[in-house]
Amino acid sequence: MMNPYIAVPLALLVAPLIGGLLMGIDRKLTARIQGRMGPPVLQPFFDVLKLLCKTPLALNRVQIIYAYLHLAFMMVVVVLLAMGQDMLMILFAHAFSTIALVLGGMCVRSPYSRIGSQRKIMQMLAYEPILVLLVVGVYLINGNSFMAKDIVTAGGAHPLLSQLPLVFLAFLMVVAIKTDKSPFDIATSHHAHQELVKGVTLEYSGPYLALIELTHMYEMAVLFTVVAMFWATSIGVGLTLAAAAFVFIIVLDNAFARLHSIWMLRYMWTVPTILALSNIVWLYFRQTPAIQ
Amino acid sequence: MPTEHLLLWSLIIVPTAMAFLAWITPGKLRSVLVGFGAVATAGLGLAMGGWLYFAHPHSFELQSTSTLSMLGMGLELAIIVVILAVAIRIRSWAIILLGVAQLALAVTEEVLSHGKPRAEGATFTVDSLSAILILVVSVIGSIIVYYAIGYMKEHAAHAPATAAGNGRFFLYLVGFLGMMNGLVMADDLKWLGFFWEVTTFCSFMLIGHDRTEEACRNAKRALLINSFGGLAMMIAGVIAVANGSAATITAVKNTAAIVPIALLCLAAFTKSAQLPFQSWLLGAMVAPTPVSALLHSATMVKAGSYLVLRLAPAFHGTKFSTLVAIIGAFTFVMTSALACGQRNGKKVLAYSTIANLGLIVMCAGINTPLAYAAALMTLCFHAASKGLLFMCMGTIEQKIHSRDIEEMGGIMYRMPFTTFVALIGMVSMLVPPFGMLLSKWMAMESAIHNPLVLILVIVGAAFTVLFWAKWIGRIQTVSYHEKYTIEKAPLSMLATMGLMAVAVVAAGLGAVPIFNNLIVPQAHAIYASVSGASFASLKQAGNFTMMWPLFVFPAGAILLGIFSYFRFRPEQVRLPFLCGENVENTIPSYTFRSLGDQPETAWAMSYYLRDLFTEGRVTFWCNLIATMAILAMFGVLAPA
Repeated sequence: MMNPYIAVPLALLVAPLIGGLLMGIDRKLTARIQGRMGPPVLQPFFDVLKLLCKTPLALNRVQIIYAYLHLAFMMVVVVLLAMGQDMLMILFAHAFSTIALVLGGMCVRSPYSRIGSQRKIMQMLAYEPILVLLVVGVYLINGNSFMAKDIVTAGGAHPLLSQLPLVFLAFLMVVAIKTDKSPFDIATSHHAHQELVKGVTLEYSGPYLALIELTHMYEMAVLFTVVAMFWATSIGVGLTLAAAAFVFIIVLDNAFARLHSIWMLRYMWTVPTILALSNIVWLYFRQTPAIQ
Repeated sequence: MPTEHLLLWSLIIVPTAMAFLAWITPGKLRSVLVGFGAVATAGLGLAMGGWLYFAHPHSFELQSTSTLSMLGMGLELAIIVVILAVAIRIRSWAIILLGVAQLALAVTEEVLSHGKPRAEGATFTVDSLSAILILVVSVIGSIIVYYAIGYMKEHAAHAPATAAGNGRFFLYLVGFLGMMNGLVMADDLKWLGFFWEVTTFCSFMLIGHDRTEEACRNAKRALLINSFGGLAMMIAGVIAVANGSAATITAVKNTAAIVPIALLCLAAFTKSAQLPFQSWLLGAMVAPTPVSALLHSATMVKAGSYLVLRLAPAFHGTKFSTLVAIIGAFTFVMTSALACGQRNGKKVLAYSTIANLGLIVMCAGINTPLAYAAALMTLCFHAASKGLLFMCMGTIEQKIHSRDIEEMGGIMYRMPFTTFVALIGMVSMLVPPFGMLLSKWMAMESAIHNPLVLILVIVGAAFTVLFWAKWIGRIQTVSYHEKYTIEKAPLSMLATMGLMAVAVVAAGLGAVPIFNNLIVPQAHAIYASVSGASFASLKQAGNFTMMWPLFVFPAGAILLGIFSYFRFRPEQVRLPFLCGENVENTIPSYTFRSLGDQPETAWAMSYYLRDLFTEGRVTFWCNLIATMAILAMFGVLAPA
């Protein structure tokens, strides 16, 4: 484990760079799939810089605090991950980042942003159980430890993927939701191909929107780092896995139309949750001796 | 009389005496007496807590004497007769039947123990668990009582003509504190039974305070369900005596006589409103709000949690324990789901209370030091936050004359103080660094070895987020206003809400020291003699030092946010996007120019998922499953 005094600032600095780059590649790739040229790969960074230079505008002052909190809790996630801390706590911090965004969208008198917030909560309801199941699965393989730093050594020579294949599939769906990809992009979507009125981030602009964009960069980095963790025994394979997952999500986004929020809840609570759950159940069975 | 015995008796007698004094004195003087009683009770509670903290060992007993034993017996019989008389007056055959059965059992117990030498035992045992409960009851309970002074003045002006007088109200409200203090200190089952029944009786009177048809019906239901619990407790006493042990909690625990323990747990479930006994607590919402605040946070329901926690180490590692955990977890998830479908604010609070009690019962059933610590944390922090939230709810209701969450938009401007304080309360149920989150985290970590319990608690936690976020989002909705003026309300209400909010924030910031200095030693002491208990995870959980980012980053964000808040100028304000031209200078900035230049107001409601969480249907199936689980809980006791 790296010295935390180095690891923490490094993670805080590098994570948005990776995340921003991923977002840039995403936009380019999507454009090519749709037969467009697409913006430069570095466009997300330009966007953030431009937004930061704008005059701050808002509907009320409460909104601003939530934009900061949204970013702060995502930074907590990055820092705790870099320190190899308790995974359940990391998960909570991640949830609070999203809740801050939801509350930021709900505190203004704007029906569109409110609807976006409501849908964002529905998304949380849909994916949160799977994330906890992921943590449980890692705990069981980790030799009963909640610490993220033990993941690398967990399972010995076997990658996590060999023990948690179904949880991995479910987690891919979570990544699709978290990156606001179709068919799950009900709260807001990142490309204009689904909606003309933005959802939850509608009433944010200027530097405050930049904060939210920055948070999204962090989140992208976190999500695909977790994907790579599924093959932590070899960095090369892990990165390939993350890249494959990334392409899969983009293809999914372009192949589907946005669907209804209740549909998402039904789907997530049946197929992916049951997949993840059965994976966990077999891990429990392997741990306990057979009943005589 | 030694100091501790003096403290013990005064904790019971002072509130009770003040209650009677307040009852017989009229008008202004009554408010003074109630206020004095509240302050005195809080002071005594703190004194007792302090005494125990510095005493070695952190506990003491008041040995049983024949006088005390006789007195307990007499008091218990007296309260049963009182409840029986009430049952006859309200003509409820079911309660009469339960009362007669209790009376018969009390006599049987006396006959059984007659002639035998009186078993050694304590009438009162006060240890750190009692101390935690005493602090919760005396301090939080007293704040609520003080709040009630202002609230009831207002309430009396609008109450239905049938409502009982405020004197009687304060008799039961203040007396409740004394009886609860007795309950958490009693060791003798007779005394415990007496306090148990008195709290049942007090809540019956308080729920029925307005004497409307609905109030009477719900009060009756509360009495019925809690009398059922009282009967279970009585049977436990008889079985303990028949087994030849002393009828005290300690003796029952030491002999590990599982049947009386199970019956006591059943009694605790009725009081803690676990499924399928939840209906009485939901019905209790008809009472004036201070009653709800008291029943839900500091007293009544906490009696049940206390009893389960008291007994838990005695059934460590049994299948019975697993079933207790499942019942608690099931209650947690289902009531959280039901809360998502509610628009009535008080009902959301009620379901959330039941859910948290479920979490406590679940932790008691998981029965490890870590789970026990999580249960204690939940108990304390929930009491403070929920007390605060009910007080806010009462203030809001008196102002907007509605309990509908959807009508609470814009209260941030109309009553900024109450709304701000309510936001603190809600946020403290959910977000770090507040204690509730830490306890939920520990509960999850300790549930890991039971997959069923684990999945229930995971799903329940997701629902919890849903209903709190919806509500927080609604009450904080506000247009831009340059200045806010604090609303007018009776001083006793504003002051107590402020005090409670400060307490919640202080406890939240001090959650880690509280955990390490008060809760961990407690968990150690209780499981010290239990074989097979593992303390490793407890030690690990106490190691919060690496969690500094969780405090530092949000604190930084809030500071930056406050900085931006004050730098923000009115010319930076914009109106929301409404897909049409905004109508300027209207208070609801939802208004826009629609077809033909007509102003039209847009409106967005929260999701309530009514077709998913239909209260009636879901409740029916929940009750069915919970009943099965409780039957199974007794089934596993049968010798194989």
